[in-house]
Amino acid sequence: MSEERPVAARLEVTDLSVSFGGLLALDGVCLVVEPGSVTGLIGANGSGKTTLLDAISGFVIPSGGTMHLDGVALSDYIPEERVELGVVRSFQDCTLYPELTVHDTLMLNEDARRAVGVISTSLQLPWERRTERAKRRAVDNVVESFGLGRFRDHLTGHLSTGTRRVVDLASIVLARPRLLLLDEPTAGIAQREAEAFIPLLRRLHEVTGCTVLIVEHDVPLVFELCPMVYVMQSGTVVASGSPDELRHDPRAVAAYLGASEEATAVTGPIGRAGP
Amino acid sequence: MSVPISVVVEGAILGLNYGLLAMGLTLVYRTSRVVNFAQGQLGVVAAVFMVKLYYDFGFYYLAALVIALALAAAAGAGSELLLRRLYGRPRVQVMVATIGLSQVLYLLTVLPFIRPKKLFRPFPVPIHLTFHIGSFLFAPGQVLTLIVAPVVTVALALFVRYSSWGLAMRAMSENSDSARLSGVWVRRVSTMAWTIAGVLSAVTAFLASPSQTSALTQVLSPDLLLLALLAALLGGMFSLPVAFVAGIGVGIVQEVLGWNINSPSTGTATVELILFVLLQGALLLRGASLQGRRRGVERASWTTGTASFRPVGEAFRLKVGNAGVVLALVACTALPLFVGVGRSFLMSQICIYAVIALSLTVLIGWAGQVSLGQVAFVAVGADVATHFSQSVPLLPLLLLAGVITAAVSVLVGLTALRIRGLYLAVSTLAFALFMQTSVLSTSCWTVPFVHRRICSGLPNPESTLVSRPSLFGLSLSSERAFAWFSLGVLVVSVLIVRLWRDHGVARRLIAVRDNEEGAAAAGIPVMRTKLLAFALSGFIAGYAGVCLALATERFSTATFDPTVSLLVVSMVVIGGLDSVPGAVLGALYLVGLPAIFGTTSTTQFLTSGIGLLAFILYLPGGMAGVMHRGGDLVADALSRGLDRWRTNEEVPPSAAVGDAVSEAQA
Repeated sequence: MSEERPVAARLEVTDLSVSFGGLLALDGVCLVVEPGSVTGLIGANGSGKTTLLDAISGFVIPSGGTMHLDGVALSDYIPEERVELGVVRSFQDCTLYPELTVHDTLMLNEDARRAVGVISTSLQLPWERRTERAKRRAVDNVVESFGLGRFRDHLTGHLSTGTRRVVDLASIVLARPRLLLLDEPTAGIAQREAEAFIPLLRRLHEVTGCTVLIVEHDVPLVFELCPMVYVMQSGTVVASGSPDELRHDPRAVAAYLGASEEATAVTGPIGRAGP
Repeated sequence: MSVPISVVVEGAILGLNYGLLAMGLTLVYRTSRVVNFAQGQLGVVAAVFMVKLYYDFGFYYLAALVIALALAAAAGAGSELLLRRLYGRPRVQVMVATIGLSQVLYLLTVLPFIRPKKLFRPFPVPIHLTFHIGSFLFAPGQVLTLIVAPVVTVALALFVRYSSWGLAMRAMSENSDSARLSGVWVRRVSTMAWTIAGVLSAVTAFLASPSQTSALTQVLSPDLLLLALLAALLGGMFSLPVAFVAGIGVGIVQEVLGWNINSPSTGTATVELILFVLLQGALLLRGASLQGRRRGVERASWTTGTASFRPVGEAFRLKVGNAGVVLALVACTALPLFVGVGRSFLMSQICIYAVIALSLTVLIGWAGQVSLGQVAFVAVGADVATHFSQSVPLLPLLLLAGVITAAVSVLVGLTALRIRGLYLAVSTLAFALFMQTSVLSTSCWTVPFVHRRICSGLPNPESTLVSRPSLFGLSLSSERAFAWFSLGVLVVSVLIVRLWRDHGVARRLIAVRDNEEGAAAAGIPVMRTKLLAFALSGFIAGYAGVCLALATERFSTATFDPTVSLLVVSMVVIGGLDSVPGAVLGALYLVGLPAIFGTTSTTQFLTSGIGLLAFILYLPGGMAGVMHRGGDLVADALSRGLDRWRTNEEVPPSAAVGDAVSEAQA
């Protein structure tokens, strides 16, 4: 906890394009995420939301445009290095590592910051032992505060999706993000648990104090959480603004919200359990 | 360089055999996602039986042919029925199961009602056609290949293209679950594929056997299987026509190269070198392009399964387990005092193979990189020992060999950055074969085109003597002392590997194996971690190689046959893929048991082949799983005994029974 750097980072994406073969998945996307804010990104399936996250975190190489984190060009770094810069992301499927225990999964985030030395581990040199102990303490604290104590030595592959998502959030805290990219954090979990996620996500934002960009299909959740929302359609940003503005923005309604209002009518708004 | 037509035709005939095998491999892979290492052996049984029918029973050729083909079909279908229950398992296990299967099939050929009275007779050929190209005479067997192989191929292609079975096979190779949901009877289809593979294998054996002295010659010899695999991989493990044509191409390349480089001493080594380079190139190109397409499938299926994982149990169970380990260690330490020279030597062998198996536990079990060429790294270590055993003290020698081998291993591991799974397995198998046939067995050879001579520095690769150095002034020349030394090396290795497991080295490897993108997103350097796995594994294999050379006191290429690699992989699989004690148990079983029950090939095949299959089929957790369960049972029995003993002291038995009864009533 010693090294101090400005926690929240500012993300600026300018004219970003990504093409898969002949298909233009992102076509000149521009967006700005202000430091410390929670920003939502919504859009229909295939509109390029996840591709945008992939590009920012480095798993997809853009064909044009720039991405800057506090003025640093992200394109110069591979995904592992972007984590060091503070770009942390979660994955939609939240696979984690099926054959690692919860404890080991969380330890990985500590390993990323202070690498395990093979030779010093083999010889059990004192400083290696000290580092390992310090890492364990940090992880145990997080395990405790997320209420994961019961699952500490379970394989993540044996956990329910909901519990895996909590483990994912715990590992995010350990990763100390400056920009957090969440890819559908409530996918695959029940409506009621998803509602319980809102305070959890708020708390995560308070604890880490980072900038959050969240991709989500659950529009009520996004509108609840995010003061600023971008709407994407076929690879471009078609509308942006506060939830209230978007509700009355014809482009946003046409692009995504229209369908979503019908969906809300079917599943019911927040507060009532879905079918 | 004008190559005579006859050489090309000869190569094509050879290649037709590769093509047939490759189609069998592809067909099986498409329907059941298994690389069938028994593909060659399926047909050998039928070929041997064919000789028996023709000569011993005096059958007509055609009748014998039909019966033998039926036997091959039955062998294929039977194998599928046997392996069927493994389809949900990690694919390394299934692959090793097919190695076991090939040994069982070999065992069948030894049975008296299949094995002919006289083995060395010309294989029957129904035609007497011969022809000349230039001065080269093509024998009837070769003519037969030229006629039959294309016909079989066309028939198979039509079958797959136009029959409903073929459609089902194509659907299954795309998505087995969806095919099942749309009503394809996947099990029947996969049985069908194996049956066809059996027949194809038999046809290959019938066509290849006339040019050999005995039908029993192993069709499974790694180089032949490797070239067939190469052809199948060039077809992407998917396309039958491409696999067939690639097979012919491989055969022609092999023969033409052999003709071009015809100096007898350096010829084969150079051919191997060029084939190796071609193969690596093909694998890199093909593997990388294919894996982009099916990355999800490849990734999901090469994890090891959670077989050897134990949730943390009671402290008492752990205590009993540790006590068991200490007891076993004491017993092993005392053992050389009570057994003779031969048994002491066997003990060193078991210990050393256990260390080699540990190197694979790291690489396959943790990192998920399936290496079928581990023995090549052991050979590098042994090579270092032959050069420096006199000049460098033992402990630095072990470290030196470890570091050099780690470097070689990382070089091979560079291919793993682009390819993984099956492609890496084939690539490492090729590396092992290349090391044995070219680098180690030829003391000096000329690199083609640049005409440089390269020497491995071994005066006589067939058998170079290595003398044992002393350890801190203690002589290791007696077998007993060496057994203790080997045990010491094993114990230290186990301790270090356990440290890696418990203190963070392993979790990085496992994380990258399970979820590469996730690990990268968590800030774990993926490439470095992959190479680290190769370095660690190579390091262990390297110093194990020194021990092996010192144990046998000679360096001979025969020790480093690629089949030994398969044996070591088998150890790790039956021991329990990612389990440290499993590697030791696997070595104990596969090296110790055959030696104790006599060294005839039959017993060896019984223990390794059938034992291997039985272990994989019925004990998915491997021997480590059995050991853990057994240990827990003992611990529970002990703790119950202790409880009873304590209650006997404190409470009169009648009162205890009364309590129990009232509890039961309540």
